Amino acid sequence: MAGSSDLDAWISRLRECKLLTEAQVRTLCLRAIDVLVEESNVQKIFPPVTICGDIHGQFFDVLELFKVGGDCPSTNYLFMGDFVDRGFYSVETFLLLLALKVRYPDRIFLIRGNHESRQITQVYGFYDECLRKYGTLNVWRYCVEVFDYLSLAALVDGVVLGVHGGLSPNVSTIDQVRLIDRKQEVPHEGPMCDLLWSDPEEMVGWGLSPRGAGYLFGSDICKQFNYINGLNFIARAHQLVMEGYKWMFDQQLVTVWSAPNYCYRCGNVASVLELDEQLNCEFKVFKEAPHELHHVTMRKITPSYFL
Amino acid sequence: MTDPSDDLYPIAVLIDELKNDDIVIRLNSLRRLGIIAKALGPERTREELIPFLQESTDDEDEALQVLAEELGNLVPYVGGPDFAFHLLPPLESLATVEETVVRDKAVESLNKVAEQLTPGLLELHYIPVVNTLAKTEWFTARVSACGLFAVAYDRSSEDVKQELRAGYNALCKDETPMVRRSAAQHLGKYAEKLEKNLLVTDVIAMFAELCDDDQDSVRLLAVGSCSALAKLLGKEGSISKILPTVQKFAVDKSWRVRYMVAQQVYELCEVIGQEVTIAELVPVYVKLLRDNEAEVRVAAAGKAGDFCSFVGGSLTLKEILPSLTELSNDTSQHVRAAIATVVMAISPIFDDANTVEVNVLPIILTLLRDEYPDVRLNIISNLESVSKIIGIQLLQKNLLPAIVALAEDRHWRVRLAIINYFPLLARQLGIFSFNDILGKLCIQWLEDGVSTIRHAAAHNLKNLAEDFGSDWVQEFVFPKMMDKIAHPHYLFRMTILEAVAAMATVVSSDILTTVLLPEMLKFNKDKVPNVRFHACKLMKTVIPHVDPSIVESTIKPWLSDLQEDDDHDVRFYSRDALTACH
Repeated sequence: MAGSSDLDAWISRLRECKLLTEAQVRTLCLRAIDVLVEESNVQKIFPPVTICGDIHGQFFDVLELFKVGGDCPSTNYLFMGDFVDRGFYSVETFLLLLALKVRYPDRIFLIRGNHESRQITQVYGFYDECLRKYGTLNVWRYCVEVFDYLSLAALVDGVVLGVHGGLSPNVSTIDQVRLIDRKQEVPHEGPMCDLLWSDPEEMVGWGLSPRGAGYLFGSDICKQFNYINGLNFIARAHQLVMEGYKWMFDQQLVTVWSAPNYCYRCGNVASVLELDEQLNCEFKVFKEAPHELHHVTMRKITPSYFL
Repeated sequence: MTDPSDDLYPIAVLIDELKNDDIVIRLNSLRRLGIIAKALGPERTREELIPFLQESTDDEDEALQVLAEELGNLVPYVGGPDFAFHLLPPLESLATVEETVVRDKAVESLNKVAEQLTPGLLELHYIPVVNTLAKTEWFTARVSACGLFAVAYDRSSEDVKQELRAGYNALCKDETPMVRRSAAQHLGKYAEKLEKNLLVTDVIAMFAELCDDDQDSVRLLAVGSCSALAKLLGKEGSISKILPTVQKFAVDKSWRVRYMVAQQVYELCEVIGQEVTIAELVPVYVKLLRDNEAEVRVAAAGKAGDFCSFVGGSLTLKEILPSLTELSNDTSQHVRAAIATVVMAISPIFDDANTVEVNVLPIILTLLRDEYPDVRLNIISNLESVSKIIGIQLLQKNLLPAIVALAEDRHWRVRLAIINYFPLLARQLGIFSFNDILGKLCIQWLEDGVSTIRHAAAHNLKNLAEDFGSDWVQEFVFPKMMDKIAHPHYLFRMTILEAVAAMATVVSSDILTTVLLPEMLKFNKDKVPNVRFHACKLMKTVIPHVDPSIVESTIKPWLSDLQEDDDHDVRFYSRDALTACH
């Protein structure tokens, strides 16, 4: 079993955007499951904490995020899912966050996004990336196994709810989330699916989501949920916002987006939300890492299923 | 020694995997070709492995590239230089494939092998390869051939040399532009090996022909060999043969050719000497600086430092500086960024401060206010060279306001560059200005919104403390920092802690134990665990500077108390720091 010095070595390797061996990934993922299985569906977090949105495998932008927000473990972090897919370095990004989680379980929290799923990663890049970088699917299998253990939400000081997507018509109290059996692939419908897929919308009541999963929820729904559960506001990710963050519903909900220049071409800025020990909010806005810092050259290998 | 059949097992697997269907596995085996050959021994490598590889040349490009590269390293395993010619046939076929990267590797390896052949074997085996490739009908082989002449020519007999010269001449006139391009590209290397008397007759004729090519891609590669040829021809030859070509190309209708000239112009100067440069090349250079195409201006501007110091201060002032001044307002940010780098480099060539103040400083000040952060960054990171020349007073009067403005720049990397410049500034300006506005900036940065800046600010204070001494820390820094030591935000408290700890490693032991250490010790009561374990981490760095008796009486019990902390990380880092106590 890996001790903390092994973990520290892996973390510094991953920080340089270098891969771990397949055996190391296996050990890391097993250790991560040991840590994550202890966490609740709605993980309790004490402030101060810095809340981050989607990062989507943009490894060098995650390093930029740490440069702006402070390094882990000095700064506490909550990442609200969508670590993988779309960017070029999903493997390195997810494994770095996972290694930090195992090394500093009280300093960094990871919750599940809709891309932390077997089905979605097969379409949006993580599956192909694992295959290309390792030549086998084992690393993908270890990682998706970990996905099933990730918490569904986080509750900061009992008053700020962090969740990847949004609300569900089947969930009116946070306690109902606690009752879900989360250890499974993200279902196509139901409360667990909705938490990871729903979007807020300037409207009243519930609406159908154009995404084909989850729902649209209006300001009245959000305000009612916050009132019933004694929340100050909901922090969620899941939708690109050009300015990095966006308040809605009279500051009852905020979208935080942490992938600058999303997909390397959207031209947006990113942000993280710093909650200090008095729960004061401050957004740290940042841009993508300068191009010259992307020092790893991509190996051109045709995925072997084309052969 | 274990059973030899066990040793051979991994080799057998590798050989087997050369034929595997999965490219990743084949690649893995190909990269270990040396090991396989070594295990097989020279004879079997020659008789079995090489013929096998010879038949594997219809693989994918990626595998072929690795094969081409590895074959060049096999000389010791086929039996040394005497048998190296066995490697030529597979490399010859690799040199004819479609994919450029494979051919380039094959050419590289062919050269590597050729260098190790004896002259006799070279003529017997290598020259025929060169000649065959040069005359093959399909153009890819002829493109590769161009890269093989230099090594061949060097060590051949007179007759063969003549044949080779005819071969290269023919390639220069090849009907396929790709071949002519390759010939132009390798002309410099080939010319190096040629006898001096043949340079003027043979090479220059070819050079002239390539320069007149109607394909701009050929012309631009011909220009690329200008500086190499100039060095071979020497001063007189260059003035008569190369200079006119360069002058002509500087107004070529293709910007890529002009770009190449801009890249080469300085090396030519060095060969033809200052006098001719001033008379003939300065106008060319100025024209390139004012080129319509931004890429050309960037390339020309990039050479300004070298070029200007070559022609000297007074001429630069009269002829070149006006163009550079104009470029500092160029519409392209890349041009301005290039100027920003170069303007700092040319300052030292003016011997009096007055010239710099009147002519160069305005450019610097304009660029310091540029809207693009890269431009500002290039100026700031090179300020050192300017401040040496213009002296402290001018620096204070003109640059300081600009620096202060940049200290609050929106882009954190610009702020970081300014912070990194501060220790140098401190040495030049002295402690005096740091008790005022600059000192305030140093403190202000501790509350920057960006973590990296706060971290740099803490270490900046340490650097300044080293220069200005412990009293400055006690009298100036410490009182200002104490306001913030109970900051409501944990990240800022950690920064203050970091600054205190950083300075603790450089101040006198008196200030350390009476002023800084007591402050650090207070942090064990902080309500945020991150601050508490950060204090432990930093304490570990401070311990070596503290008197052992105080470590024993104060720090050790302090860390031991933290061993009982509720937080796992605090316990870990206090235990880690305790190990440094002995």
